[in-house]
Amino acid sequence: MTTLHTLIIGAGLSGLACGIALAKTGRRVTIVSAGPSTLQLNGGAMELLGCVDGQEVTSPIEAIARLPLDHPYQKIGVEHIATLALEAQQLLGDAGVTLTGDPHHNHWRITPLGVLKPAWLSLRGMATATRPDRLPWQHATLLNLKGFVDFPIHFVAHNLSQLGCEVTVHDIEVESLGLPRRSASEMRAVNLARTIGAGSKLRHLAEAINRVCDGDEAVLLPAIVGMEDDYPVNLLRRWVTAPLHHLATMPPSVPGTRMAALLRHYFKMLGGKFLTAESVGHVKLADHHIAAVYTAKSPGIPITAQHYVLASGSLLSQGLVATCDAIVEPLMGLDVDAPACREQWSHYGLMGDQPFMRCGVLTDTALRPLKAGTAIDNLHAIGSILSGHNPLTMGDGQGVDLLTALSVAHQLTTKCSLPPGRE
Amino acid sequence: MRIVSSNATYDVIVIGGGVTGAGVARDCALRGLRVLLLERHDYNHGASGRNHGLMHSGGRYAVTDPDSARECILENEVLRRIACHCIEPTDGLFVTLPDDDLSYQATFVDACRQAGISAEVIDPQQALQLEPLLNPDLRGAVRVPDASIDPFALTLANVLDARLHGAETLTEQEVTDLIVAGGRVQGVCTLDHRTGQSHEFHAAVTINAAGIWGAQLVRHAGINIQMFPAKGTILVYGQRVGQMVLNRCRRPSNADILVPDGTVSLMGTTSDRIGIDEVDDMRVTEAEVNLLMREGEQLVPQLAQTRLLRAFAGVRPLIASDDDPSGRSISRGIVCLDHATRDGVEGLITITGGKLITYRKMAELATDLACRKLGVDAACTTATLPLPGSEQRNVITGGFKPSGKSNASKRHGDRRRAIPADDALDRMSICECENVTIGEVRYAIEQLQAHDLANLMRRTRLGMGLCQGRSCACRTANLLAHLTGNPDSALRDLARLIDERWRGTKPVAWGSALRDAQLAAAIYQGLCGLDKAISRKEVEP
Repeated sequence: MTTLHTLIIGAGLSGLACGIALAKTGRRVTIVSAGPSTLQLNGGAMELLGCVDGQEVTSPIEAIARLPLDHPYQKIGVEHIATLALEAQQLLGDAGVTLTGDPHHNHWRITPLGVLKPAWLSLRGMATATRPDRLPWQHATLLNLKGFVDFPIHFVAHNLSQLGCEVTVHDIEVESLGLPRRSASEMRAVNLARTIGAGSKLRHLAEAINRVCDGDEAVLLPAIVGMEDDYPVNLLRRWVTAPLHHLATMPPSVPGTRMAALLRHYFKMLGGKFLTAESVGHVKLADHHIAAVYTAKSPGIPITAQHYVLASGSLLSQGLVATCDAIVEPLMGLDVDAPACREQWSHYGLMGDQPFMRCGVLTDTALRPLKAGTAIDNLHAIGSILSGHNPLTMGDGQGVDLLTALSVAHQLTTKCSLPPGRE
Repeated sequence: MRIVSSNATYDVIVIGGGVTGAGVARDCALRGLRVLLLERHDYNHGASGRNHGLMHSGGRYAVTDPDSARECILENEVLRRIACHCIEPTDGLFVTLPDDDLSYQATFVDACRQAGISAEVIDPQQALQLEPLLNPDLRGAVRVPDASIDPFALTLANVLDARLHGAETLTEQEVTDLIVAGGRVQGVCTLDHRTGQSHEFHAAVTINAAGIWGAQLVRHAGINIQMFPAKGTILVYGQRVGQMVLNRCRRPSNADILVPDGTVSLMGTTSDRIGIDEVDDMRVTEAEVNLLMREGEQLVPQLAQTRLLRAFAGVRPLIASDDDPSGRSISRGIVCLDHATRDGVEGLITITGGKLITYRKMAELATDLACRKLGVDAACTTATLPLPGSEQRNVITGGFKPSGKSNASKRHGDRRRAIPADDALDRMSICECENVTIGEVRYAIEQLQAHDLANLMRRTRLGMGLCQGRSCACRTANLLAHLTGNPDSALRDLARLIDERWRGTKPVAWGSALRDAQLAAAIYQGLCGLDKAISRKEVEP
């Protein structure tokens, strides 16, 4: 039996991208996947760098040079960002996640409240703008399914009309869907997408749209089709006579769920393996070297690999855990960059620059996490478990996830373990 | 500032929309007086909305403050008759833990009996059968008729009944001055926070039920009342760990009561004097949280493994007795001041002190005094007349139902029939933690003077459940934008609600509470750009 090349802990965007990049080169890779990731929150867009020092960024590549030295982009090398970004877009495209965008020029995504925010890549079919202050339409028809409450249509209509676009709102009913339901949780976007599918109900949806929007300049519909792939999205675009664009909804989001599904599928196609519904229970460390990993369900069976990648996420995904006295990395007790005192973890005003958002594991320049100041030699950390940035204020979440994943994949596939460009 | 003079004249103006003010307005209306209730923010914005939700048996005060104890047990029995839809008759235990002096139990039981409070000593094993999660090392337990009470439902029922009997009640109407002429208070000047307009209202009698804010109020008439702002902090655990109210059997002290409230548990309280300038911006400290956790785990060790939802603080409107500026001889009993005899200012009454559960008696005393001043001879009927929602006595007798269809019944009693439910959309639940339907939101807006999300939360418990509003806040704000036709204000409202919820979470922000906060931030700040939407609005008003 050949040994595992890499064991990845965590199946979010970062873990999946790293797994795919490695599996593409023929390496044997296993991903430990505890459950749904924060991709569920993703409205169909990727951010590379949206904001520096409180100012929105038009060119991420230019602005990256202004980032502080402890930012993950600085560790993987500012000069590599553009190349890695193109590579990431290519890799996602290979998996069927078709995205448009340019790391040199942000475009603007439309949030579930109808606010424009800078973005690097957007899923094909999503409504976007090329300028922060203007929409590409004079007039848009905004639709919602009656009883779907996770799309705040009145805010979207209001905020889009503030940008000079004339907005008409319609509630549509599709009899075969039998809406609305008693409980809002039966009416989440993902449930709707499952129910609508790609058959007759999708056809009925198209007909309902055509009844109110024939000949309109742009039709905006919440993203409620296409759970597994974008086949239903394309079908609906063909059936609807007016130009159709999708808008992100409140989570769980259909585009995000679809991206996760496509990436998982592609990883398996490349020969990658998942340990699903599993979490790591214990990591055996010896002299700053991982000897074996044990899952929570099979504590007696060691899993060994040449390399290990920690992609277990931030507090939200429990890659970090806050006890009442400290923020810790629960698997190995890695060094965490966090304020010592509990009252300093957060500020009043939830949507400010919260210190807890910046917490993460400390690494060396090769993204190897430190424990008591010394790097673990066969472990790398990628994605949102890394310290040194706040994805909510900086708009760099998916960029850090993808680019650190690819940077580490490169290190693990070149003989030398130094990061690319530092040999 | 434009002053819009109001020609309407009332018999009584009541200042303050807490439970006391609401009770006074109801009592006045029932006695046929023309009454106007003015609340500067929303009903229960102050101490009435920031407490344990505990219907004392009086046991807690039996040893140290027998007059208060007697007031409590009498009103306890009254409220069971008139406000049954607000009450969950849990009973309570006074538990002696290894650190407590067991000999205090006999003193306690004796004092309870003297005050007319039933107090049954039960053995520790029996107590553990009733409450399996109690500290197994307990040495004694006494059963008393404590209960859990919903202060929001209680105040609203009083407001509703006052309105049904002709009272006018206004929220967001802050009293900015008293109109004093010829040694007599003749009315009030107000600022309407919603319109920015000023108003004058006139009345023969003005009743100050403004709680801790009452001292500043009467200063407009040159009157000095020495208030003693006592901050009390409470922790909310996201699980109901006990079925009964659990008290420590010792002299009243910090952190010795755990109250079940629906599906959660409230642990409290602390008591610290704070400056009057702090009462509008109270922050829970790490030390208070640590103390409450430590003591709570003594009472119910399971609390160490129970997730904390939030922490909040309220200010007791205690009054230092006259000529005692140090506040040493503080009464927790009812204080009803006739400023004519006390200060030579006619037409002004202050009603303060007391407890949540003695609000009705407080209202009765203030209304009696107002009636005497007005020369009206009308008897008080509030001790026997059920509140709206409790007219049909069988609402609560089915016992505790933690969730499901009973939620609206718990909140509105038999008034739930007024909630729209004909349309499928109206029956749809938008807050799944507390099972609030779109129809109930509409009912609160149309019938219960709800204008924003915080108002809705106080009337329906929307956003108060496990998710702390993460899922339902945006849905409801969108609905509010639709119903009010003002998306701008609904959006600001959404941001305010998220910050207000976070204000409660921050003191206990670790573990799953911090995780949930990160999720809320990821959704509203990251995914939605709510912060950007708001800041843009502030730049371009």
